Amino acid sequence: MHGFLAWMYASALGHFMRESGPWTYAIVNLAHILGVASLFGSVLILDLRLLGVWRRTPLAVLTHVAVPVAAGGFGLATLSGIGLLAANATEYVGNPFFYVKFPAIAIGLVNAFVVSVSPAWEAASGTRELTAIENRQLALMGATSLACWLTAIGAGRMIGYW
Amino acid sequence: MEQTLSSRSLTVGGALVVALFLMILPASAHHGWGGYQDEDFQLSGTVESPVSLAGPHATMKIRAENQVWDITLSPPARTERAGLKEGVIPVGAKVTVFGHRHRDPKRFEVKTERVNWNGRLFNVYPDRS
Repeated sequence: MHGFLAWMYASALGHFMRESGPWTYAIVNLAHILGVASLFGSVLILDLRLLGVWRRTPLAVLTHVAVPVAAGGFGLATLSGIGLLAANATEYVGNPFFYVKFPAIAIGLVNAFVVSVSPAWEAASGTRELTAIENRQLALMGATSLACWLTAIGAGRMIGYW
Repeated sequence: MEQTLSSRSLTVGGALVVALFLMILPASAHHGWGGYQDEDFQLSGTVESPVSLAGPHATMKIRAENQVWDITLSPPARTERAGLKEGVIPVGAKVTVFGHRHRDPKRFEVKTERVNWNGRLFNVYPDRS
Protein backbone atom coordinates (compact mmCIF):
# COMPACT_ATOMS: atom_id res chain seq x y z
CA MET A 1 0.00 0.00 0.00
CA HIS A 2 2.82 2.38 0.87
CA GLY A 3 4.50 1.70 -2.47
CA PHE A 4 1.30 2.43 -4.35
CA LEU A 5 0.72 5.67 -2.42
CA ALA A 6 4.34 6.74 -3.00
CA TRP A 7 3.83 6.10 -6.72
CA MET A 8 0.61 8.17 -6.66
CA TYR A 9 2.40 11.00 -4.86
CA ALA A 10 5.25 11.06 -7.38
CA SER A 11 2.94 10.79 -10.41
CA ALA A 12 2.38 13.62 -12.89
CA LEU A 13 -1.08 14.06 -11.39
CA GLY A 14 0.42 14.41 -7.90
CA HIS A 15 2.81 17.08 -9.14
CA PHE A 16 0.02 18.89 -10.95
CA MET A 17 -2.18 18.87 -7.83
CA ARG A 18 0.60 20.32 -5.69
CA GLU A 19 2.27 22.72 -8.09
CA SER A 20 -0.40 24.33 -10.24
CA GLY A 21 -1.43 27.18 -7.99
CA PRO A 22 -3.08 27.73 -4.63
CA TRP A 23 -6.65 27.09 -5.84
CA THR A 24 -6.15 23.71 -7.53
CA TYR A 25 -6.79 21.58 -4.46
CA ALA A 26 -9.80 23.69 -3.47
CA ILE A 27 -11.42 23.41 -6.91
CA VAL A 28 -10.84 19.65 -7.17
CA ASN A 29 -12.19 19.34 -3.63
CA LEU A 30 -15.30 21.23 -4.74
CA ALA A 31 -15.79 18.77 -7.61
CA HIS A 32 -15.42 15.91 -5.13
CA ILE A 33 -18.11 17.35 -2.88
CA LEU A 34 -20.48 17.88 -5.82
CA GLY A 35 -19.88 14.29 -6.93
CA VAL A 36 -20.47 12.89 -3.45
CA ALA A 37 -23.59 15.05 -3.00
CA SER A 38 -25.06 13.83 -6.30
CA LEU A 39 -24.21 10.22 -5.49
CA PHE A 40 -25.50 10.23 -1.94
CA GLY A 41 -28.59 12.33 -2.65
CA SER A 42 -29.82 9.94 -5.31
CA VAL A 43 -28.73 6.81 -3.45
CA LEU A 44 -30.56 8.02 -0.34
CA ILE A 45 -33.82 8.33 -2.26
CA LEU A 46 -33.40 4.89 -3.85
CA ASP A 47 -32.43 3.20 -0.59
CA LEU A 48 -35.31 4.71 1.36
CA ARG A 49 -37.65 3.49 -1.38
CA LEU A 50 -36.13 0.01 -1.13
CA LEU A 51 -36.66 0.19 2.64
CA GLY A 52 -40.35 0.75 2.06
CA VAL A 53 -40.77 4.53 2.10
CA TRP A 54 -42.85 6.04 -0.75
CA ARG A 55 -44.12 2.60 -1.76
CA ARG A 56 -46.85 4.14 -3.90
CA THR A 57 -44.20 5.68 -6.14
CA PRO A 58 -43.19 3.00 -8.66
CA LEU A 59 -39.54 2.03 -8.24
CA ALA A 60 -39.03 2.31 -12.00
CA VAL A 61 -39.92 6.01 -11.85
CA LEU A 62 -37.26 6.65 -9.21
CA THR A 63 -34.55 4.50 -10.80
CA HIS A 64 -35.07 6.23 -14.13
CA VAL A 65 -33.90 9.53 -12.65
CA ALA A 66 -31.80 8.54 -9.63
CA VAL A 67 -29.52 5.87 -11.11
CA PRO A 68 -27.95 8.12 -13.80
CA VAL A 69 -27.41 10.90 -11.22
CA ALA A 70 -25.82 8.41 -8.82
CA ALA A 71 -23.56 7.00 -11.53
CA GLY A 72 -22.55 10.47 -12.73
CA GLY A 73 -21.87 11.57 -9.16
CA PHE A 74 -19.79 8.47 -8.52
CA GLY A 75 -17.76 9.14 -11.66
CA LEU A 76 -17.11 12.76 -10.70
CA ALA A 77 -16.23 11.81 -7.13
CA THR A 78 -13.86 9.09 -8.34
CA LEU A 79 -12.02 11.28 -10.84
CA SER A 80 -11.65 14.20 -8.42
CA GLY A 81 -10.86 11.81 -5.58
CA ILE A 82 -7.89 10.35 -7.46
CA GLY A 83 -6.52 13.90 -7.78
CA LEU A 84 -7.03 14.66 -4.08
CA LEU A 85 -5.41 11.36 -3.15
CA ALA A 86 -2.40 11.95 -5.39
CA ALA A 87 -1.80 15.42 -3.89
CA ASN A 88 -0.83 14.06 -0.47
CA ALA A 89 -0.92 10.30 -1.02
CA THR A 90 1.89 9.34 1.34
CA GLU A 91 0.24 11.18 4.25
CA TYR A 92 -2.53 8.61 4.38
CA VAL A 93 -0.29 5.71 5.38
CA GLY A 94 -1.54 4.56 8.78
CA ASN A 95 -4.68 6.71 8.72
CA PRO A 96 -7.36 4.31 10.03
CA PHE A 97 -10.24 6.13 8.31
CA PHE A 98 -8.50 5.60 4.97
CA TYR A 99 -8.67 1.84 5.49
CA VAL A 100 -12.37 2.06 6.37
CA LYS A 101 -13.42 4.30 3.48
CA PHE A 102 -12.23 2.27 0.51
CA PRO A 103 -13.51 -1.15 1.64
CA ALA A 104 -16.88 0.54 2.33
CA ILE A 105 -16.91 1.87 -1.24
CA ALA A 106 -15.98 -1.56 -2.59
CA ILE A 107 -18.79 -3.26 -0.65
CA GLY A 108 -21.19 -0.51 -1.72
CA LEU A 109 -20.32 -1.14 -5.38
CA VAL A 110 -20.68 -4.92 -5.03
CA ASN A 111 -24.03 -4.38 -3.30
CA ALA A 112 -25.20 -2.07 -6.11
CA PHE A 113 -24.21 -4.74 -8.62
CA VAL A 114 -26.05 -7.45 -6.67
CA VAL A 115 -29.15 -5.24 -6.51
CA SER A 116 -29.04 -4.58 -10.24
CA VAL A 117 -28.92 -8.27 -11.18
CA SER A 118 -31.42 -9.48 -8.57
CA PRO A 119 -34.76 -10.89 -9.82
CA ALA A 120 -36.52 -8.62 -7.30
CA TRP A 121 -35.03 -5.50 -8.91
CA GLU A 122 -35.94 -6.79 -12.34
CA ALA A 123 -39.52 -7.44 -11.23
CA ALA A 124 -39.74 -4.06 -9.51
CA SER A 125 -39.09 -2.33 -12.81
CA GLY A 126 -42.72 -3.07 -13.56
CA THR A 127 -42.95 -6.60 -14.88
CA ARG A 128 -44.90 -8.09 -11.94
CA GLU A 129 -45.87 -7.74 -8.29
CA LEU A 130 -43.09 -8.41 -5.79
CA THR A 131 -43.37 -11.19 -3.26
CA ALA A 132 -42.95 -10.43 0.45
CA ILE A 133 -39.56 -12.15 0.41
CA GLU A 134 -38.42 -10.03 -2.53
CA ASN A 135 -39.52 -6.88 -0.74
CA ARG A 136 -37.44 -7.93 2.25
CA GLN A 137 -34.46 -8.67 -0.01
CA LEU A 138 -34.69 -5.22 -1.55
CA ALA A 139 -35.02 -3.64 1.90
CA LEU A 140 -31.93 -5.51 3.10
CA MET A 141 -29.92 -4.40 0.08
CA GLY A 142 -31.16 -0.83 0.53
CA ALA A 143 -30.04 -0.87 4.17
CA THR A 144 -26.66 -2.32 3.15
CA SER A 145 -26.25 0.41 0.54
CA LEU A 146 -27.09 3.15 3.02
CA ALA A 147 -24.67 1.71 5.58
CA CYS A 148 -21.87 1.46 3.01
CA TRP A 149 -22.20 4.98 1.63
CA LEU A 150 -22.68 6.58 5.04
CA THR A 151 -19.58 4.74 6.25
CA ALA A 152 -17.59 5.75 3.16
CA ILE A 153 -18.58 9.41 3.46
CA GLY A 154 -18.16 9.49 7.23
CA ALA A 155 -14.73 7.85 7.12
CA GLY A 156 -13.76 9.98 4.13
CA ARG A 157 -14.52 13.17 5.98
CA MET A 158 -12.67 11.96 9.08
CA ILE A 159 -9.47 11.23 7.09
CA GLY A 160 -8.59 14.92 7.24
CA TYR A 161 -9.15 15.10 10.97
CA TRP A 162 -6.86 12.25 11.95
CA MET B 1 -51.18 1.63 5.45
CA GLU B 2 -50.47 5.34 5.37
CA GLN B 3 -49.92 5.19 9.12
CA THR B 4 -47.27 2.46 8.95
CA LEU B 5 -45.56 4.17 6.03
CA SER B 6 -45.11 7.49 7.78
CA SER B 7 -44.00 5.89 11.06
CA ARG B 8 -41.48 3.84 9.14
CA SER B 9 -40.21 6.98 7.37
CA LEU B 10 -39.84 8.61 10.76
CA THR B 11 -37.85 5.67 12.11
CA VAL B 12 -35.53 5.60 9.11
CA GLY B 13 -35.17 9.38 9.13
CA GLY B 14 -34.44 9.37 12.86
CA ALA B 15 -31.79 6.67 12.47
CA LEU B 16 -30.16 8.72 9.72
CA VAL B 17 -30.03 11.85 11.85
CA VAL B 18 -28.48 9.88 14.73
CA ALA B 19 -25.90 8.37 12.37
CA LEU B 20 -24.98 11.79 11.02
CA PHE B 21 -24.55 13.23 14.52
CA LEU B 22 -22.33 10.31 15.49
CA MET B 23 -20.14 11.04 12.48
CA ILE B 24 -19.87 14.73 13.31
CA LEU B 25 -18.89 14.22 16.96
CA PRO B 26 -15.18 13.33 16.66
CA ALA B 27 -14.54 16.12 14.14
CA SER B 28 -12.21 18.24 16.20
CA ALA B 29 -8.63 17.53 15.28
CA HIS B 30 -6.57 18.29 12.19
CA HIS B 31 -8.34 21.07 10.32
CA GLY B 32 -9.58 22.98 13.34
CA TRP B 33 -7.46 24.03 16.29
CA GLY B 34 -8.93 21.46 18.68
CA GLY B 35 -6.15 18.95 17.99
CA TYR B 36 -3.50 21.45 19.06
CA GLN B 37 -2.43 22.66 22.48
CA ASP B 38 -4.05 25.82 23.78
CA GLU B 39 -0.71 27.29 24.88
CA ASP B 40 1.30 29.38 22.43
CA PHE B 41 4.26 27.53 20.99
CA GLN B 42 7.39 28.99 19.43
CA LEU B 43 10.08 27.15 17.50
CA SER B 44 13.25 28.25 15.73
CA GLY B 45 15.05 26.15 13.16
CA THR B 46 16.34 25.94 9.62
CA VAL B 47 14.15 25.32 6.60
CA GLU B 48 14.44 21.66 5.62
CA SER B 49 11.72 21.62 2.98
CA PRO B 50 10.47 24.92 1.53
CA VAL B 51 6.96 26.35 1.62
CA SER B 52 4.54 24.31 -0.50
CA LEU B 53 1.21 25.80 -1.52
CA ALA B 54 -0.35 22.39 -2.11
CA GLY B 55 -3.72 21.92 -0.42
CA PRO B 56 -5.54 21.60 1.82
CA HIS B 57 -3.01 23.56 3.89
CA ALA B 58 0.26 25.15 2.88
CA THR B 59 3.18 23.41 4.59
CA MET B 60 6.91 23.53 5.18
CA LYS B 61 9.38 21.54 7.24
CA ILE B 62 12.00 22.94 9.56
CA ARG B 63 14.80 21.25 11.47
CA ALA B 64 15.26 22.18 15.09
CA GLU B 65 17.62 20.34 17.46
CA ASN B 66 17.99 17.41 15.04
CA GLN B 67 14.25 16.96 14.77
CA VAL B 68 12.28 17.71 11.61
CA TRP B 69 9.00 19.48 12.35
CA ASP B 70 5.94 19.70 10.13
CA ILE B 71 4.86 23.32 9.90
CA THR B 72 1.20 23.50 8.94
CA LEU B 73 0.23 26.93 7.60
CA SER B 74 -3.15 28.35 6.56
CA PRO B 75 -4.88 27.30 3.32
CA PRO B 76 -2.71 27.98 0.23
CA ALA B 77 -4.48 31.12 -0.99
CA ARG B 78 -4.42 32.71 2.48
CA THR B 79 -0.76 31.83 3.02
CA GLU B 80 0.02 33.42 -0.33
CA ARG B 81 -1.96 36.57 0.57
CA ALA B 82 0.20 36.84 3.68
CA GLY B 83 3.17 37.19 1.30
CA LEU B 84 4.48 33.72 1.99
CA LYS B 85 4.76 32.46 -1.58
CA GLU B 86 6.69 29.41 -2.69
CA GLY B 87 10.39 30.18 -3.00
CA VAL B 88 10.35 33.29 -0.80
CA ILE B 89 12.22 31.60 2.06
CA PRO B 90 15.23 29.61 0.84
CA VAL B 91 16.09 26.14 2.10
CA GLY B 92 18.53 26.34 5.01
CA ALA B 93 17.27 29.76 6.12
CA LYS B 94 16.75 30.28 9.84
CA VAL B 95 13.12 30.89 10.72
CA THR B 96 11.00 31.20 13.84
CA VAL B 97 7.41 30.00 13.81
CA PHE B 98 4.66 30.92 16.26
CA GLY B 99 1.56 28.80 16.72
CA HIS B 100 0.32 25.76 18.57
CA ARG B 101 1.91 22.35 18.91
CA HIS B 102 0.00 19.16 18.19
CA ARG B 103 -1.54 17.68 21.34
CA ASP B 104 0.13 14.34 20.67
CA PRO B 105 3.69 14.76 22.04
CA LYS B 106 4.92 12.08 19.62
CA ARG B 107 3.91 14.25 16.69
CA PHE B 108 6.25 17.07 15.78
CA GLU B 109 3.78 19.39 14.12
CA VAL B 110 3.07 23.06 14.67
CA LYS B 111 -0.16 24.61 13.40
CA THR B 112 1.40 27.93 12.60
CA GLU B 113 -0.06 31.42 12.84
CA ARG B 114 3.05 33.47 12.04
CA VAL B 115 6.46 32.88 10.46
CA ASN B 116 9.41 35.19 11.07
CA TRP B 117 12.29 35.12 8.62
CA ASN B 118 15.06 37.63 8.21
CA GLY B 119 13.09 40.39 9.94
CA ARG B 120 9.95 39.74 7.88
CA LEU B 121 6.78 38.55 9.59
CA PHE B 122 4.32 36.47 7.59
CA ASN B 123 0.97 36.52 9.39
CA VAL B 124 -0.78 33.54 7.79
CA TYR B 125 -3.67 33.65 10.29
CA PRO B 126 -4.28 37.39 10.64
CA ASP B 127 -7.61 36.78 12.41
CA ARG B 128 -5.75 35.00 15.23
CA SER B 129 -3.69 37.57 17.10
